[in-house]
Amino acid sequence: MTDLLLENESARKLIKTLGLPIPVPERLERAKGPYEERPLDDKTILVGGHGALQGVLAQVLTKAGATPWVVGKSDSVLEPYRGPGEAWARTPRRIEPGDAPEGERVDAIVFDGTGLETPDDLHQLYEVMHPWIRRLNRSGRVVVIGRPVGDVKRAAIAATRAGLEGFTRSLGKEIGSNGSVANSVFVEEGAEDRLGPVLRFLLSPRSAFISCQPFHVTKTAKVGEAPETHVLGGKVALVTGAARGIGEATAEILAAEGAHVVCLDRPADDGPCSQVAQRIGGSVLLVDITDRDAPERIANDLKERFGGVDVVVHNAGVTRDKTLGRMKPDAWDMAVDINLGAVVRITERLLQNDLLRPGGRIICLSSVSGIAGNRGQTNYSASKAGVVGFVRALAPQVADKGITVNAIAPGFIETRLTNAMPVAIREVARRMSAVGQGGKPEDVGQAITFLATPGAAGLTGQTIRVCGGALVGA
Amino acid sequence: MGKKKKNGWGKKHRAVIVTGVRTPFVKAFGRFLDLDTIDLADIAVRALLERTDLPHDEIDNIIWGGVILPSAAPNIAREVALDLRLPPSVEGMTCTRACATGLQAVTLAAAAIERGEADVVIAGGSDSTSNTPINLPQKAVHALAPLAFGKASTAADYLGVLAQMMPITEILPRMPKIAERTTGEVMGESAESMARRNEISREAQDRFAERSHHRAAEAIASGRFDDEVVPVETPDGWVHTDNIVRGDTSVEKLSKLRPVFAKDGTVTAGNASPLTDGAAAVLVMSEEKARALGYKPLAAFRSWAYVGVDPTDQLLIGPALAMPKALDRAGMALKDASLVDMHEAFAAQVLSVTKALASKGFAEVRLGRSRAVGEIDEDKFNVHGGSLSIGHPFGATGARMVTTMANELARTGKETALLGICAAGGLGAGAVLEAVR
Repeated sequence: MTDLLLENESARKLIKTLGLPIPVPERLERAKGPYEERPLDDKTILVGGHGALQGVLAQVLTKAGATPWVVGKSDSVLEPYRGPGEAWARTPRRIEPGDAPEGERVDAIVFDGTGLETPDDLHQLYEVMHPWIRRLNRSGRVVVIGRPVGDVKRAAIAATRAGLEGFTRSLGKEIGSNGSVANSVFVEEGAEDRLGPVLRFLLSPRSAFISCQPFHVTKTAKVGEAPETHVLGGKVALVTGAARGIGEATAEILAAEGAHVVCLDRPADDGPCSQVAQRIGGSVLLVDITDRDAPERIANDLKERFGGVDVVVHNAGVTRDKTLGRMKPDAWDMAVDINLGAVVRITERLLQNDLLRPGGRIICLSSVSGIAGNRGQTNYSASKAGVVGFVRALAPQVADKGITVNAIAPGFIETRLTNAMPVAIREVARRMSAVGQGGKPEDVGQAITFLATPGAAGLTGQTIRVCGGALVGA
Repeated sequence: MGKKKKNGWGKKHRAVIVTGVRTPFVKAFGRFLDLDTIDLADIAVRALLERTDLPHDEIDNIIWGGVILPSAAPNIAREVALDLRLPPSVEGMTCTRACATGLQAVTLAAAAIERGEADVVIAGGSDSTSNTPINLPQKAVHALAPLAFGKASTAADYLGVLAQMMPITEILPRMPKIAERTTGEVMGESAESMARRNEISREAQDRFAERSHHRAAEAIASGRFDDEVVPVETPDGWVHTDNIVRGDTSVEKLSKLRPVFAKDGTVTAGNASPLTDGAAAVLVMSEEKARALGYKPLAAFRSWAYVGVDPTDQLLIGPALAMPKALDRAGMALKDASLVDMHEAFAAQVLSVTKALASKGFAEVRLGRSRAVGEIDEDKFNVHGGSLSIGHPFGATGARMVTTMANELARTGKETALLGICAAGGLGAGAVLEAVR
């Protein structure tokens, strides 16, 4: 499980001293406790681009504790930042385009590209980022914001908008060695008020292992009150496969945000599952999710004990790898049924009689190899790609109840599963990400927890990869 | 012993400030070294009784405030009553709310009177930073417990106790400092960060400190404080006046001082309030009672407000929220206040608060109103200096401010005074005093 290049200080020093041609990955800064009032406390954030979001950015960034440095030719660019800056004592500073004063560094760069219309306008990206990209502090963040491509008829505008995503994906690969990540956010017109929590997440250490990903903020799902701390207070969350690994990490983080977590696992895993539940003050539900009566039993249990459920995390999953020609039928059936069949059956049952309460959250686990395809995983990929289709189709159907449905696709995460891989393959898989290392279960847990929060109302029907910007899977 | 009191429980009264006195405020570890906080409180209350000729049996209780409380006798109020041989019926309670403690004691007295719980209350506060108890670390206390309780008897027991106290550095007493318990941040560091974030320059801070000293020095020279400051006799002779005020200081002199809390910082010993010893007492009565006893009340509270802000953000910004709240409760705007008196913990903090009050952005986002609270007119702001120059015995400052402002209203014929105090823990206090004629 240990990544020598990350954990072993002597090995790191040795490689650096000898100048060996091995890139030593940067240790990623991760969040230490529950959601904070000011997740960006004392961070300096460079803001470029002149889109429609300056007012929103000013409010969100200063309230979160960051000091904005705004790129622009005249002091008028500071105007939207002055009021909020005074309210939170974060005075904006103007930065001359193309200039990066000697010795100055920033913690993040946010580019508001909602105003871009022609390919020529893309030059602004270069102008803002070029002088600063090598001045980005470790575990830095780049967030490029634009409008969705699908919203316009004029092809030139669509082309410009689409360009933002490609830029961000490539930039993510460049800054990964610094422990930094880059992501793009496409904000539907009228969904601007849902951008805040997404930005707070993407600019915070909670998104340490998410890079090169597009996020689509839409007004699809109905939105409610969104607290900034103790974000899941009073909520009931069901996590399947909670006994260990990603499920365990997710249950812990959900609980730290105030959720009562129902830890579900197979009866055979009673021991570890109960331990998790006890540690986080949750409860245990022992069910084999492939049993035909499992959906009914889960539904009855949640109804009786809690009157319903607010968050459902379909985490339980298995691999049964073999090339298709050698695969036994039960290996196929088992992978597809646990990873997809049970997810569909349980979700459909919970949606009956509003057992999943209004404002509810469904988060399914997909996989990068499911998206990219992987030799020996036809069954697994079928199930994990199926999940992508499932959330995309279900999202609009439940949006009027304020329910969102999303998938998380982990890349290489250091778990019992990946630890069992042959050393050579494991080592290659680790280094294939932009940040040059594997993720931790908590990275996936953080992404799941964010999607579970009321503030994530703008995201639905999406599959978000937590892969450190992996080379495979687009 | 005391005549029988009328039962006024539940009856509505207006509480009025009859008068107030304080000791001179003296630099810590100086002339009041031999007077602990109870001694200082005794002096202030005795002076108050002498100056008012208040019949002792009229007193219902004493509400006292302190920040560094004597651990052996934390209820200072009761100790004062006993020390001064007041009737045993004069009960006492002691409150603490960091630097807003003195105001808290006075507003508690007003609340008790307005509720009909009491008619005559002596309120105030004191602190002796010179007599801060230096505690042994808990490790030493726990290791020594067997000795203290006589459980250890053999040589081996004693050796065992010794062994537990190693390494020696862990059991040495630590110097007390004004640090936040939750964040560990020293208050000067908080002021430093507020100066940086609100862009309060070193020069602006020094200029404000100079102004504070000049105004206080002028008040002392003109005899303005004579009514409210009582001379104190110490073993080394009499202390007649505040000894921190520097009438001859200037921005130039202040600018030579080195920053204390950060290398490139702006907060210096000159623009921060110093550690101070002192006490202040205020006589609060129901208006009826005051008039019946032949006193001429000076002022009354129109409102007060206490708030809390995130101590990990801007620790001392509280007054920027508490003062508008108190104004709202009094049905006033800032411009209606004829006087404004703000506790000067640090020049950086005062200027951060005034900047926030003048900001439309702050008003919109933090107070939910469309217009700025307003700018404070220089002529009515801290007219006789403040804690920077006069000093800041934590528990006494609020009572000092109430006294000075009540006198100011009476002397000038002005109508209202707005008070503002910041306090450790991210607390803020605001109050509006109105003249009583």
